[in-house]
Amino acid sequence: MAKEPVRVLVTGAAGQIGYALVPMIARGVMLGADQPVILHMLDIPPAAEALNGVKMELVDAAFPLLKGVVATTDVVEACTGVNVAVMVGGFPRKEGMERKDVMSKNVSIYKSQASALEQHAAPNCKVLVVANPANTNALILKEFAPSIPAKNITCLTRLDHNRALGQISEKLNVQVSDVKNVIIWGNHSSSQYPDVNHATVMTPSGEKPVRELVKDDAWLNGEFITTVQQRGAAIIKARKLSSALSAASAACDHIRDWVLGTPEGTWVSMGVYSDGSYNAPAGVIYSFPVTCKNGEWTIVQGLAIDEFSRKKLDLTGQELTEEKELAYSCLS
Amino acid sequence: MAKEPVRVLVTGAAGQIGYALVPMIARGVMLGSNQPIILHMLDIEPATEALNGVKMELVDAAFPLLMDVVATTDAIVACKGVNIAVMVGGFPRKEGMERKDVMSKNVSIYKAQASALEKQAAPDCKVLVVANPANTNALILKEFAPLIPEKNITCLTRLDHNRALGQLSERLKIHVGQVKNVIIWGNHSSTQYPDVNHATVTPTNSEEKPVRSVVADENWLNTEFITTVQQRGAAIIKARKLSSALSAASAACDHIRDWVLGTPKGTWVSMGVSSDGSYGIQSGIIYSFPVTCDKGQWSIVQGLKIDDFSREKMDATAKELVEEKTLAYSCLN
Repeated sequence: MAKEPVRVLVTGAAGQIGYALVPMIARGVMLGADQPVILHMLDIPPAAEALNGVKMELVDAAFPLLKGVVATTDVVEACTGVNVAVMVGGFPRKEGMERKDVMSKNVSIYKSQASALEQHAAPNCKVLVVANPANTNALILKEFAPSIPAKNITCLTRLDHNRALGQISEKLNVQVSDVKNVIIWGNHSSSQYPDVNHATVMTPSGEKPVRELVKDDAWLNGEFITTVQQRGAAIIKARKLSSALSAASAACDHIRDWVLGTPEGTWVSMGVYSDGSYNAPAGVIYSFPVTCKNGEWTIVQGLAIDEFSRKKLDLTGQELTEEKELAYSCLS
Repeated sequence: MAKEPVRVLVTGAAGQIGYALVPMIARGVMLGSNQPIILHMLDIEPATEALNGVKMELVDAAFPLLMDVVATTDAIVACKGVNIAVMVGGFPRKEGMERKDVMSKNVSIYKAQASALEKQAAPDCKVLVVANPANTNALILKEFAPLIPEKNITCLTRLDHNRALGQLSERLKIHVGQVKNVIIWGNHSSTQYPDVNHATVTPTNSEEKPVRSVVADENWLNTEFITTVQQRGAAIIKARKLSSALSAASAACDHIRDWVLGTPKGTWVSMGVSSDGSYGIQSGIIYSFPVTCDKGQWSIVQGLKIDDFSREKMDATAKELVEEKTLAYSCLN
């Protein structure tokens, strides 16, 4: 007997990331090859024609798992009955814009979308915020959708997590699927801390710590970190466009692991509502190492944090606290 | 024990279709979720940085099935050892260009790439030409790569086939998975003939029925349905201001997957293949036929009744292909 379809919302669906993401969802990358989906796609009125073009292409692709497409500029229609919401839509920084201006625009967007989601989404809707500033947009969404459980509102740092795995796999010349348990701490920004202290590589003689195999602490504490932090800019420089392919793929990974569970012995990074674990500031959306089971994430506890890491965890935490203050000042 | 990786080449990989296609390949949409892949990506010199950006993103996506990525502007390196080649690269028509100019540019490209593929690809490499004019580009490739078995050189009409299924599913308000066996005959151009005479729909909790009797609108099936499918590419460009990448990439995956892994029982698909004279279509052109696939080989579905209406359309698109062939050859002299 075929499963009941799951309704997945993508906001900003007429944009670059949306265009990469919707075929992935429609092929089962996000929820599994046996899970039918109904796609809800939302964008702003100026993008209505382009959005309809995407809908037409989804029809033209004859996806077996895609049971319906709702393409709309009406946020209420978009949010109605959705089980998963991927918030890609946001106001991008334009040349000459101050950080406060970007923050202000996005705070308004996420405040109003919070309201629509809260009122119209299915119970237990899982939310993933992708649009930057991801952590703070997610926080605003949480603050203005109080009836959505805080644990259901997350932001994407899986892209950074996957980038870190990729860098280690290239450095060691191993398959990326043999590398695991890096951690992205904090903000999805250049203050993020990619931490390999607990990461391992599967070798013919068993699992070994990344630090031991790389044998280059200077690189791990320096260039590796900055490469991952600044990878977004490197992609823009090469492509003249920001990362859509890898961001969309990471969004699928984030939701899939959340819903279907992480493999035994493996954790992933998710931006989640901080409970103060690891002395991260509480009351912000902070990226932690998590395992997932039965549709719930749990922060991996008890990992040793050295002095070097402590400083970096605190720095990114501080930035998130400042962003929160800036966001709230925009609301007043 | 994990399977040996398959090498898949995508030409024009830095472009729109390439960007949609490579993550699909890397996730197993093309060859199955247990088939490791090595991606070869080729593009022209001006696109080197962008191509490298795509490679970086593929690394950043940490795909479990993706064993390696070769990103290059060197056709020899790109073609070396490939088991599958998806030729997306070509010279797009620009404003003011005559058909002959577009043809001329693409003929040169496909002649050169034929040579590289023939010399470097793995034996039994399966080739899918996507870049337009797809059928004629595939023909040129075939003519200049005589060592590649002609049955291994195909062009994409699966996009049109899927579009036809989609149109019927919307008309019948039924899931597209319940419609099958449309046929796209001929050229991947506006002369293609989307034929529903043998198509069926299986309503939920009911038995398979001919599409014609369920739609019950001969006029629509013989006019608007046909022109909608024929002109769908233009409709997408009008809406998106860009041509279809998502659906073209998806169709390319479907084409290869069904070719390699086989079509489901009772179902056929449309592929542009080297004509053997079936259905009175002259040989020596790449023409889209209904095919089934088994053990990595396609076979034209034989014995389907062709009415007068269909005969005329099938001949018209064949005529266009013969004209394109003549034009292509004149560009070579």
